[in-house]
Amino acid sequence: MLLLALGLPMVGSPFLALAGRRLGARVGWLALILPVMSTVLLGVLAMDRSLPARWGVELPWVPTLGLNLSFLVDGLSLMFGLVVSGMGCLVIFHAIFYLGTDYAHLGRFYSYLALFMGAMLGTVFADHVVLLFLFWELTGVTSFLLIGFLHGEEKSRVGARQALLVTGSTGLALFAGVMLLQRATGTSSLSVLLERGLPWGERGGELSLAMVLMLVGAFGKSAQFPFHFWLPNAMAAPTPVSAYLHSATMVKLGVFLVARMYPLFVVSPLWLPLLGTVGFTTMLLAAVLALVSHDLKSILAWSTISQLGFLIGQYGLGPVGGVGHDQLHLLNHVLYKGCLFMVAGVAMHATGLRDVREMGGLFRRLPLLGMAAVLAGGSMAGLPGTLGFLGKEAMLADLFQPLRDGASPWVLYAVGCAGVASVVKIAFSLRLVTGVFFGKEPDGVALQYHAPGLGMQLPALLLAAGSLLFGVWPGLLDGLFGQWAVEGLNRPKPLAVWHGWSVELFTSAGMVMMGVLLHEVGRRTGWRGWRIPGVLQADKAFEWLVERFQGWTKVWTRGLRADRPADHLPIVVTFVVMALGAGLLGLVPGLAERLWPEDVGMDPLRTGVAGLIAMTVVGVLVLRRWTAQLISLAVSGFLTCFYFVLYRAPDLALTQILVETVTLILVLLLLARFPNSAQVGEETRRPGRWTHYFHIGLSLATGCVATGLILVVTSAPHPEPLGARYLEQTVPLAKGSNAVNTLLVDFRGFDTLGEVTVLVVATLGCLGLLMRYKRTPEETRQGPLGPPGFGVEEQRED
Amino acid sequence: MLGPPSFIFRSVVRFLFFLVNVFALYLLLRGHNLPGGGFIAGLASAISLILLSLGIGLAELHRVMRFDPMRLATAGLALALGTGLIPVGMGRPFLEHFDGYLEHVPLLGRVHVGTPLLFDFGVYLVVVGITCKVIFVLGKSTQRLVALVAEDAARYASPVERPIEETEEEGGRNGS
Repeated sequence: MLLLALGLPMVGSPFLALAGRRLGARVGWLALILPVMSTVLLGVLAMDRSLPARWGVELPWVPTLGLNLSFLVDGLSLMFGLVVSGMGCLVIFHAIFYLGTDYAHLGRFYSYLALFMGAMLGTVFADHVVLLFLFWELTGVTSFLLIGFLHGEEKSRVGARQALLVTGSTGLALFAGVMLLQRATGTSSLSVLLERGLPWGERGGELSLAMVLMLVGAFGKSAQFPFHFWLPNAMAAPTPVSAYLHSATMVKLGVFLVARMYPLFVVSPLWLPLLGTVGFTTMLLAAVLALVSHDLKSILAWSTISQLGFLIGQYGLGPVGGVGHDQLHLLNHVLYKGCLFMVAGVAMHATGLRDVREMGGLFRRLPLLGMAAVLAGGSMAGLPGTLGFLGKEAMLADLFQPLRDGASPWVLYAVGCAGVASVVKIAFSLRLVTGVFFGKEPDGVALQYHAPGLGMQLPALLLAAGSLLFGVWPGLLDGLFGQWAVEGLNRPKPLAVWHGWSVELFTSAGMVMMGVLLHEVGRRTGWRGWRIPGVLQADKAFEWLVERFQGWTKVWTRGLRADRPADHLPIVVTFVVMALGAGLLGLVPGLAERLWPEDVGMDPLRTGVAGLIAMTVVGVLVLRRWTAQLISLAVSGFLTCFYFVLYRAPDLALTQILVETVTLILVLLLLARFPNSAQVGEETRRPGRWTHYFHIGLSLATGCVATGLILVVTSAPHPEPLGARYLEQTVPLAKGSNAVNTLLVDFRGFDTLGEVTVLVVATLGCLGLLMRYKRTPEETRQGPLGPPGFGVEEQRED
Repeated sequence: MLGPPSFIFRSVVRFLFFLVNVFALYLLLRGHNLPGGGFIAGLASAISLILLSLGIGLAELHRVMRFDPMRLATAGLALALGTGLIPVGMGRPFLEHFDGYLEHVPLLGRVHVGTPLLFDFGVYLVVVGITCKVIFVLGKSTQRLVALVAEDAARYASPVERPIEETEEEGGRNGS
């Protein structure tokens, strides 16, 4: 059942892409089936109390590498799995109305979305650490595709590239960490690790390094400082994607990984400093940036990063044995942030505006949506009556507890950051809700407003209602959290709305007051001058680096003269001659005695053919016309075929003949492009005397090195030639008597398949490059000697 | 470059086209036991098509060959991959081959057949497809012909990219 829940989105994804062409916008309803099925199946699994707290499923995949499709089901993976699939239902439902029929390639969109969902589910349920990494990267790739879905826009492309580079490269750190972990512990199964614990005593150093590397992966995915800059740029994606990937699910993978690692690594002395500083720094930084942003989705993106910082940081603060409220914080964030993203999407859809300063007064037009926004915003700010209030109380309690026990500098830092961040958060929550829904309605809104359908608003309303319901009646969650608790990670405490007149309550009230004050200051100044300071625009710096890197590679390419074979070849050849020649020099003393072994007979026919080949090669040098040179070269090729025949290699000879023919045609075609013969070219571009001597010397050296190489190789025959074995086995195993062919299609069929694939890919790349040399129709009309390139006609003639 | 059309050349080429392809088929079929095989047969077929293109002219070729050679290549790749995947569906290792004997084939009697031939045929299609495509495109570009038709542009070019010359110019401007 688990496999069905995981596999459905993966398997269904290509069909959605195919169905998209037929069904158009209706493909969304088809896509909706997948997450609903997954949710139901996972829900049944989660409710089944007869199952043990931790169990697994395993399917063989690549048994030779010890890599199996093994999945681990426990409270953590079930909770994340349900969040992923449940949000998937809502988001696809939202997307059906949001995208409507305005976008092309809807099938492709839903296909990516389903694939992403499958990858997410795979990541959270993976038991094998390498499998976890594979799915992890797959989410990165699908996220790249989804961010760049509107690939016609520059912003989308830049955002997608940034996201892929950041999450992909930090993903590699995760891979390194996972590999180290595997080496240090000797197992790659998470469930085994969780049962046995880590050998901190013996291999502490390796494990610490593995932990740091894995955490880098988590920080990259969850957009933690210093990788925080990619997430706001990823907002170029359509809003449903942002709501799903970049608030509710994918960016939470970092949190998930930290939670998975928690029982294993929390005893490490590095755990608190690393997670505490990174998490809480991100929390504060992102909160401030959210306040000074004006774009609706940017504000939400920064606030997401801030909350993710807290989620990661709280694991850092957590004591050995388990944290109390991580499930609460997670669920809380999913509910309010998913809701706010969808609200933002609807508001942007309805007005066509993105800037908070230009919006306002939408409450009168969309009262239901306004209610949802107020609830979700209240939850974000932590006002009573919502789940956010409980979250905030729990957060303050968790922060104050270690403070009372005895303050370490890390805890003090965390408390400071979290305190300021909470105040700022209240301010921007207030700004978001009042800015969009209250106040005077600007003209721009009135002008462009068109009413969104109820279907688009429904998911947001549901999420807001959930936030309210659980906020008022938290007892509902106790049972669930208790069932999902993972040993060593969670220690759920009963939730209650009212904790009495505690320090937390007063602090919370004080924060609300300060937050409102801060917002008031901003409102009075009209948000003028509130912008992200240049120093903090890490995305610009990153783009600059990417640009510089491109420039740098270009400089190298130009420096090596890769565009001029006449200049480029000597560089390559000199390098080869020097590298191989140096190696050969060491073998020269031993070579002398082997140079004339007695058993070399002078076969007259072979000697004759070799002499002919030598003559044709000399002909290439001596002849003056390029056609004659080319034919001479071709003749040498055909003579080589003859040589192969003498050595009884008919397959090789046949192949060589045909390849020679095709190459000759190709070269003739290409040379025909050149307006003048080689002779004219030689006269106009005659190299200097020293260059000429250099070329001659280089050619001679190449010849010497090649000769030496052949002598060395043939003088020491391989102790165990492979050929004999294949010759013996070709008839009994491959049922064919041509060993060359059975080798190609049977023994090493996988290689052949790979080569064939490479051929096709290379051709596609070649065509893509050629297409960049496009010649406009006007240029084509200038005749064959017009600017080089490949003309593109607008219409086919027949 | 081709000079005036020659009737003799054209007739010979048409005849040769047939002959070379029969030879290619022969090479392909006997490949498992005697010299030959998909790669060689593919090259032979590609040469026959190139000869044909020289005979009747690249401009006229699309009247004979009414589809993009790249389609041959993709079909071949799919075939080779499919042959490899069939055993997987039956729970055997990827790319395992089977063989058997067909009894009572007219004229031939007992024939030894096996899935390696299918795989080889896939290789054959890939080689024919890409060789033809590259040579035709390059050939057309040298003959004042439209090398890539509008469909090709949709397939192989990105609407976002500009031609190379343009970007180079821009790079020069930025640099100066």
